[in-house]
Amino acid sequence: MPADSMPAEIRPTKAAARAAAMPWHELVLLAFVAAELLFFDVTGRRFLTGDNLANILRHSTELGLLALAMMPVILTGGIDLSIGSLLGLSTVLFGKMVDEGGLSPLCAGVITFLAGAAAGGLNALLIGALRLPPLIVTLGTYSLFRGLAEALTKGTEIYSRFPPYFLAFGNSRIGPLPAQGWILAAAAILFWILVHKTVLGRCWRAIGYSPEGAAHAGIAVKTRVATAYIIAGAVSALAAIVYTARVAQGRADAGAGYELAAITAVVLGGSSIFGGSGSVPGTVLGVAAIALLSNGLGRIPAAMGVSRELAGMMTGALLLAALSASALARMASERRARRT
Amino acid sequence: MNQWSREIWVASVLAALLALLAVFAPAFYAPMPLLSRCSEQAPALIMTVGMALLIIARQIDVSVGSQFAVCAVIAGTLTAAKAPLVIAVATAIAAGGAMGALNGLLVAGLGLPSIVVTLATMATWEQALRLFQQGRFVALPEGTQWWGLGQTMGQWTLIAAACLITAAFAVAMKHTSGGRRVYAVGSDAESALLAGIDPRKTVFRLFILMGLLAGLAAALNIVRSPQVDPKAGLGLELKVIAAVVVGGVAVSGGRGSVWGASVGLLLLATINPALTYLHVDAYWEKATQGVVILAALIADSLKRRTHAGR
Repeated sequence: MPADSMPAEIRPTKAAARAAAMPWHELVLLAFVAAELLFFDVTGRRFLTGDNLANILRHSTELGLLALAMMPVILTGGIDLSIGSLLGLSTVLFGKMVDEGGLSPLCAGVITFLAGAAAGGLNALLIGALRLPPLIVTLGTYSLFRGLAEALTKGTEIYSRFPPYFLAFGNSRIGPLPAQGWILAAAAILFWILVHKTVLGRCWRAIGYSPEGAAHAGIAVKTRVATAYIIAGAVSALAAIVYTARVAQGRADAGAGYELAAITAVVLGGSSIFGGSGSVPGTVLGVAAIALLSNGLGRIPAAMGVSRELAGMMTGALLLAALSASALARMASERRARRT
Repeated sequence: MNQWSREIWVASVLAALLALLAVFAPAFYAPMPLLSRCSEQAPALIMTVGMALLIIARQIDVSVGSQFAVCAVIAGTLTAAKAPLVIAVATAIAAGGAMGALNGLLVAGLGLPSIVVTLATMATWEQALRLFQQGRFVALPEGTQWWGLGQTMGQWTLIAAACLITAAFAVAMKHTSGGRRVYAVGSDAESALLAGIDPRKTVFRLFILMGLLAGLAAALNIVRSPQVDPKAGLGLELKVIAAVVVGGVAVSGGRGSVWGASVGLLLLATINPALTYLHVDAYWEKATQGVVILAALIADSLKRRTHAGR
């Protein structure tokens, strides 16, 4: 139906049409990432080198996977605070199976992946079937998963006996990219297809835009939402295996605070925190912005000792700035709409 | 249905747990550890009150743990610099209020969801504190501990202060127009607006109040030991939110009470030592907390469903 023949209430506004035609948010973010590259290249030591860029990719794969996992959940208008804790629980589970159980990493990896999906299924069950708010459910499982990890390790135990070929995977290169970079690239493409090219992705978007409307349109809201949380759980487990291969340790405090970084990446990437809009390329750019920030600060001589704290602080501030900017833009456009 | 049924239910679980302890682990009731355990919970109780109000108004604040830590270090640093205790306490409370005001500004002023805003401020304050303090403890001067009152007297003062504040807010929520406004905004912000209540102003004030209470809790907490631990607030937000949810405050807003939330805190605070006394590993503490939160949520949802079915 051409836009002109639609009733006025549902005809897209000019601004909305322009936003749909040109992903300006991604462009702004791309400019921001480019500015970061330039800034750190000028101020930092050995920043723009092939080795360091591979290093950045290696260290941001887990965050990238978690952000990709978080994106569909936020698209449905939900949130998952438990994925950082689930990463910790999964590394412990994986480490225990390989170190103490003597399982092969492949076998343990498959079990961990399924356990992650099951953990996501717990969130899905409580949120989908019992219609409890995602925020408080995943706050509960945030505590539960981290607590189970602490209980399994008795708070102190660290699993570190892994086969050499498994650890080599975490620290080697295949072609131009670090080994885990290929996993991240494959995951990003899969998520892009899932979110932008499938019925499931369109359902997520519709649910996030208006749950009642989606239900009236015949979408099985509960199962579609449940799928997003189950995928998030499974991908967090995958991130845990990648993490274990890189740091050669399975420990209970792994991934603490990653949920915030993942949410920040998704929101920086232009997804609405209220659901209904967002893109996978934007999320990937959001991850890049955060990863460059934390690596780049470590390369500036003046900030070297405190770069982690500084990066954490600036990630929080960046999230607030991105949220405020989008809120102010929304308020301004509403004011304009009211005036006309 | 009795409006207090949920509070009574939580209180009876607590009573059952206490009875269990009386039979199987009478050592739990030895006066010395019991008193210090209670005084340990006093700052959390003060923050639980603020959190209950926020959640009743359908908001949440996960930055309270970071606020608590920042305020504790501020109060400690001032005391260590020989500032009078009154000024240290006042500064800590003011700092808490300022951090709360920032949350309030972003949530009420810009219409952003409180969970994301406070997650961001939580990380920002926590990392800022780490940046400036680098994990160093602040040593307090002699005579600061227990305000120089001696341990037993100091502990009682702390407990009394927390209980007084809780009682004052519990009564105010029930019997003042301000308290009713919080419920009105939480159950339906649109109707509240039509009834002449400005929800944004109410929410803004509640975030400030939460910050003030976090500052007060931090200032009261520092007298408990001869030094200030900058990591003391870690995970406190979760404990406080868990207490509020377990105590029967609905996360969908508009329902619950300060009484219930404080009983919820007592229940959570009893479970952990109870596990130790009943010979369960202490490492299960966090997992148990998660299970209790989820159990309370599921119980509420099932109850809601049976009522809707009738």
